[in-house]
Amino acid sequence: MAHQLKRADKLPVALRIVGGVLLVFTVVIMGIPMLNVLAVSFSESAASDAPGLVLLPLPPTTEGYSFIWKHTDLSKPFFNTVYVSIVGTVLHVLFASLAGYILCQPDLPLRNVMTSFILLTMTVPNELTLIGIYAVNKDLGLINTYTGLIVNGMISGFSVFLMRNYFSTIPKSLAESARMDGASELNIFLRIYLRLASAGLITVGTLELIRRWNNITLTVTLISDMKKWTMPVVLRWILFDQSSTSGTAYIFANAKMAAVVLTAAPLVVLYFFVQRFLTGGALLGAIKE
Amino acid sequence: MVSPDVGMPDCKDSGPGSYEKGGVVSMDTQTFRKMRRYKALYILFIPIVLYLLVFTYYPFVRGLVMSFQENRLIGKRPFAGLSNYAKVVADPDFIASIVNSLIIGVVDMVLYFVLALLLALMINEIRSSTMRKSIQTIAYIPYLFSWAVIGGVWALIFDIKGLVNAILGFFGQEAVFFLAETSLARPLIIGMGVWRSVGYFALLFSVAIVGIDPTLFEAAKIDGASRLTQIRKIIIPSLSGTMKTIIVLLSIGVLTHFDEIYVMVNPANRRFISTLLLYVYETGILNFRMGTASAGATLVMIGTVLIATVMRRLTRYDEE
Repeated sequence: MAHQLKRADKLPVALRIVGGVLLVFTVVIMGIPMLNVLAVSFSESAASDAPGLVLLPLPPTTEGYSFIWKHTDLSKPFFNTVYVSIVGTVLHVLFASLAGYILCQPDLPLRNVMTSFILLTMTVPNELTLIGIYAVNKDLGLINTYTGLIVNGMISGFSVFLMRNYFSTIPKSLAESARMDGASELNIFLRIYLRLASAGLITVGTLELIRRWNNITLTVTLISDMKKWTMPVVLRWILFDQSSTSGTAYIFANAKMAAVVLTAAPLVVLYFFVQRFLTGGALLGAIKE
Repeated sequence: MVSPDVGMPDCKDSGPGSYEKGGVVSMDTQTFRKMRRYKALYILFIPIVLYLLVFTYYPFVRGLVMSFQENRLIGKRPFAGLSNYAKVVADPDFIASIVNSLIIGVVDMVLYFVLALLLALMINEIRSSTMRKSIQTIAYIPYLFSWAVIGGVWALIFDIKGLVNAILGFFGQEAVFFLAETSLARPLIIGMGVWRSVGYFALLFSVAIVGIDPTLFEAAKIDGASRLTQIRKIIIPSLSGTMKTIIVLLSIGVLTHFDEIYVMVNPANRRFISTLLLYVYETGILNFRMGTASAGATLVMIGTVLIATVMRRLTRYDEE
């Protein structure tokens, strides 16, 4: 019996081998290119342009980083991106939780209308209203401004409903007793709900930070002034465009890959801190795309 | 309704009755009293409404209106009827971008779905949880990357002196200029998408697999069902909800590929990978022919609604 149970728990040997080989293959395909980029970014200039695979830079050096940081004045786009991403995310989370909290009141008159009003904004993917968004931002004087990058996408239905779901897990009795004690609605929101839904705030905040940091579509729509570009757009220019600009020095592979790492690393570091929140909100996050 | 309305259960303690009543303005004293109690919330909701009107509703209407107007940068734009639409449909670039969008979008959708499902099933068979988590994490990480980062990774490994050519050289093959090879333009773009997204969608499947009631497996084991039968009869059927969600989700994105194209497009591969949104962007934002671009965008919108509706019907998404 015990033998049978054990066998029922495993796949046939042939399938297990195929599965194992495919998994190793997957790990190699996903992992090796990332390692390759990291290794090249820490290589010496000449070595980084030599053919073949580098997985361990010998000797390791940060000259690629210092070159690209100075040569393309990378500190500016880097801190621009930090600024617009963080300010934009904080506002986004604030409004998502505010709207989520309002829509979570079970006996709020007109709630249905209010919910539909937000739901309706989710029916058309943002990218498809690109031209309208450009025109409106132009009228408001937001073209080529950081404010434009921060303000657009400040409220999204997905985040609002995500927050509403987190709030709905908080027992209503807490709010009721606070109300009896004469607490204002705003205080109940700030003191009770925001504090107890911190997991939701982190999930929504991380998803939004990733979206904003990586954003290309909105940036190239609103920002034509190179000096105001964000990291991904500058990175694209470094990788594929700068050779066509006359008067720039040759950029070795180590410097290019250093720029890749600088664009990607902040989010990877963030990911390891908030991993457990993201897995929980994974399916909900799915509808955010 | 294009977006999948999943993952948005109503507030737990509001019965179905209270929800339905919420929209009806019954002007009795109790409603008034409630409204007065929630006054602060209504006031706080006003900026949200204003924001969405200006930055979401209005751009949509504005784009629609512009699609019926002549291309003019300043001053009044005269009504142009359907001429923008006629221009777009007659533009060979637009037609080419429809073909590219459909090929890239549909192949991406199928590969994301199938490969992610396979990966999740294989990961689920791993016994060691540390190993399982590590593989999941490695596969998920590229999803954190901007398309520019993915472009950088691919530019390196597909470089003439890069990893892939080193492998080809090992087998005695000649080096290939991958990024300039037109016949490889589409496969490379599709491959980039798979590399970036497969781990993410696999994670969505994995979360659903973990959520399956373990007693089902116990019962199956007692009945002597093999592991393969368990996968076929328990895991796959239990994933049907997740599968539907992912299919509908992916179908909305079929025609909206932009970032990866914007990053990778060059004069050599443009003919094969320029998508609808790139057409809209270049026509409207770069060349200031906003009427034409809006007409294109509106057609893409109609196409997206169409594809999403068909997929919803096919998966019977709205049933159950």
